[in-house]
Amino acid sequence: MNHIRNFCIIAHIDHGKSTLADRLLERTGALSPREMTTKQVLDDMELEQERGITIKLHAIQLHYKAAGGTDYTLNLIDTPGHVDFTYEVSRSLAACEGAVLVVDATQGVEAQTISNVYLAIEAGLEIIPFINKIDLPSAKTMMDNVKHQVMELLGCKEEEIILGSAKSGVGTDEVLEAIVRRVPPPQGDPGAPLQALIFDSIFDEYRGAIAYVRIKNGRLEEKQRIRFMSTGMEFDADEVGVLEMKRKRTGSLEAGDVGYVIANIKDVHETKVGDTITLASRPADKPLPGYKEVKPMVFSGLYPANSDDFAELREALEKLKLNDASLVFEPETSVALGFGFRAGFLGLLHMEIIRERLEREYKQTLINTVPNVEYCVYKTNGEKVIVDNPAAMPPQGVIERVEEPFVKAQIIAPAEYIGGIMKLCMERRGVHKNTTYLSTDRADIQFELPLAEIIFDFYDKLKSLSRGYASFDYDFLEYRESDLVKLDILLNGEPVDALSTIVHRTKAHEWGKKLCAKLRELIPRQMFEVAIQAAIGSKVIARETLSAIRKNVLAKCYGGDITRKRKLLEKQKEGKKRMKQVGRVEIPQEAFLAVLSMED
Amino acid sequence: MNASLYLHIPFCEHKCIYCDFYSIAPGDSAARDYAALIREFLVSLEAEIRLRSADRMLQCRFETIFFGGGTPSLLSPSDLQRVLDLLRSCFTIDPDAEVTVETNPGTVDPEKLAAFRAAGINRLSIGIQSFHEDDLRFLTRIHSSDQAKACVRAARDAGFQNISLDLMFSLPGQTKERWMQNLEEAIALEPQHISCYSLIVEPDTPLQRMVETKQIATLPPEMDAELYETTIQMLASSGFQQYEVSNFARPGFHSRHNLNYWRRGNYLGFGPSAHSHWTDVRWWNVSNLHSYTQRIAHGQAPVAGEERLSREQVVEEEMFLGLRSTGIDVAGFRRRHDIDLFERYGDIIEDLLRSGLAVLEHQVLRLTSTGYSLCDEIALRLR
Repeated sequence: MNHIRNFCIIAHIDHGKSTLADRLLERTGALSPREMTTKQVLDDMELEQERGITIKLHAIQLHYKAAGGTDYTLNLIDTPGHVDFTYEVSRSLAACEGAVLVVDATQGVEAQTISNVYLAIEAGLEIIPFINKIDLPSAKTMMDNVKHQVMELLGCKEEEIILGSAKSGVGTDEVLEAIVRRVPPPQGDPGAPLQALIFDSIFDEYRGAIAYVRIKNGRLEEKQRIRFMSTGMEFDADEVGVLEMKRKRTGSLEAGDVGYVIANIKDVHETKVGDTITLASRPADKPLPGYKEVKPMVFSGLYPANSDDFAELREALEKLKLNDASLVFEPETSVALGFGFRAGFLGLLHMEIIRERLEREYKQTLINTVPNVEYCVYKTNGEKVIVDNPAAMPPQGVIERVEEPFVKAQIIAPAEYIGGIMKLCMERRGVHKNTTYLSTDRADIQFELPLAEIIFDFYDKLKSLSRGYASFDYDFLEYRESDLVKLDILLNGEPVDALSTIVHRTKAHEWGKKLCAKLRELIPRQMFEVAIQAAIGSKVIARETLSAIRKNVLAKCYGGDITRKRKLLEKQKEGKKRMKQVGRVEIPQEAFLAVLSMED
Repeated sequence: MNASLYLHIPFCEHKCIYCDFYSIAPGDSAARDYAALIREFLVSLEAEIRLRSADRMLQCRFETIFFGGGTPSLLSPSDLQRVLDLLRSCFTIDPDAEVTVETNPGTVDPEKLAAFRAAGINRLSIGIQSFHEDDLRFLTRIHSSDQAKACVRAARDAGFQNISLDLMFSLPGQTKERWMQNLEEAIALEPQHISCYSLIVEPDTPLQRMVETKQIATLPPEMDAELYETTIQMLASSGFQQYEVSNFARPGFHSRHNLNYWRRGNYLGFGPSAHSHWTDVRWWNVSNLHSYTQRIAHGQAPVAGEERLSREQVVEEEMFLGLRSTGIDVAGFRRRHDIDLFERYGDIIEDLLRSGLAVLEHQVLRLTSTGYSLCDEIALRLR
């Protein structure tokens, strides 16, 4: 156990976390330079490579001969970098004893740098600061400042900071040596009853659910009867091994190890991330501390474009959930869309990723409705209702008050953008709490904001007004009373429940006007005129008219080539499948997310 | 059951900028000795006709023959005569068969037209497109407006009593007035049939490149709609019945050949790129003269592709072709496919009837003139 080091890499998005991971893989021979593609190796999900972000955490074992000649086994657990996925970060941390903190030399400490560091400190990890991208021209002028920020944040000495460039490999050896020397070896008793923490799980078409585990105590061997402590379910461990570039069967794992267990587990719900695996023959007294139960922040409807595909969508969601414990969903029905699901997400990016994965990996054609937060509604009869779907909002008359979630937001930005950031936050009903300076020209601005106001385009706005320099992180604070109303959309007088939103009363008119205008743009013209109205209760507050199409016919001579004409029609019909018929009006998929593309 | 014969003549004196049908012009690199090329083609065409006629499955009474292209009127009357004679010797041709030749006014004179008539051709489809000289220049037609008018008169003098004119609308910059002038001129020539096509920008045509490089701008959709509606109104008030999206005829002068396409009748196509349909199998010839002649020289059918239509595809075709032309016979549809259209599309059909886009007469669901404007939109909804 003394020769094992379990560590992760934490960083603000784009600071070079995955690039450093790639260098470590290359340096330790897990991968030859020839095998390295231009893209990050650990980001193996198609979406991750495309978006250049890590969504799922990945684990890999490295073999390293330290400067002193001793061989070490290093388990690297990669972490996601986006604010939506903080939850996954905390999971990685629980399986490690150390963390390499990557900070971009040209950017400095940012919001997620801070939040990740706090998580790591909370988890009691040894933190190794690594200032990355020192070969960039602008690093020179920033360097001292960044070093200072890191020292301030960690309370460390300047000598403890490693300077390097993950891109060119400078500093890689120092990082590896620091891991070996500074990160403590795992503690634990191989002779004690088995306690294995499930920190991730994946679903394999042929092998079933595969649990990724960190053995805290005891020893796990193939053929042993294992028990999941939260459910009491038991299985036979068919295959046990470690995670190299591929799974490598070892037959056993013991205290300190990171590896996997395959146990012919068919039901995706059995391997709950955060659960503890023990042995049926000699169970542990109590499970390891699990994770903070993840709370979805953003909710939206997911409907099959074709109502017949409901069961297929359920199956796809269930499979996805195995890979993504933060996804929650339950069936719901909509007058406009039929049977579907209300799903809860960690944030907007998480929602987009789930939708894209459902479409790409599971070939689902989906209608995704406008995301919203979860409201607490107190009715006049004293009843309290949790509303995660605007359509389920009780009528105004029976509502005593509505509470919405507020978050504590932290924005770090160059001081020159403070004015713009303040303005943005105030527009979003924010309450300014504090502004401190990290250095003479870098401010840490703290606001309390309604979550509903930041889930749409807040981050984009923040980025554009600060020319990309502001970073942002938030954490749930509390529920607070607000003057909220339900805004309905009517098409030719018929309310479309899936288009309802909950907005602050002072913003309802403007919101309604913009939404109608956007829908007019997104809904294609129909064979008849369509009135698009926004209403609060029975009061219409905005209206747009979509005029009828006058001509849609290809008046062409096509002779005997009926095939071409038919294929064209078939193709167009395929496109129409993404449309939902609501009453007589055909609504394209994007219209249900119109709010996301509204302009100011 | 009606059956038809189609012959694709892939030669043009000049390729018009918008056209995506297969043809070869004398200037094309493929064309060595143009006259020799045509002779070679005719030999192959005749061989293909003989080859097909050996198939006893394809024997029935043929009621229409159509020479299309390309520019079939480029051929000499004796060439057309020889092909027709061969068809008559290989197939059973109805004595009252409709025999049409697509005619470019720039390729004929009164003598040639008289010879066409004498060869047994009884219908001409004359490609006029516009009576405005600048339009003709833009479209790179090889004839003038006067030539076009003279051609129509000469055709009538030659004894043709079934003449169709092709016109084209939605040309860049076209105004309603200019289009109405075209329609008036056409009506004044007293043809039995008028086809009006909208200018479509097809891929890989010079027109497409002109649009892409912004040399010209296509007409806004509103204007295109307006011109189409004007067409329907003007031709209706002059006694032409609309029986398809782009086709208008005096009573009794519908193109029997085209109707056969739209009613999913059987037809055999000869020549490169020609399409055929026989009892729910569709096939098409190679779109290249060289491979066409090569294949035939080796005794092979010059077929490039074939599809056997599924039940759903047959249903689909019947619906969209019916909507485009003379309507869907609801009772016949139920009998053939065991599908009750009202059961399946009740809401949509009711909507169409209520909003005047369609009518139901003698169990035939037919689009009205406003319905024709939305034909593709309606077809898309019947899914």
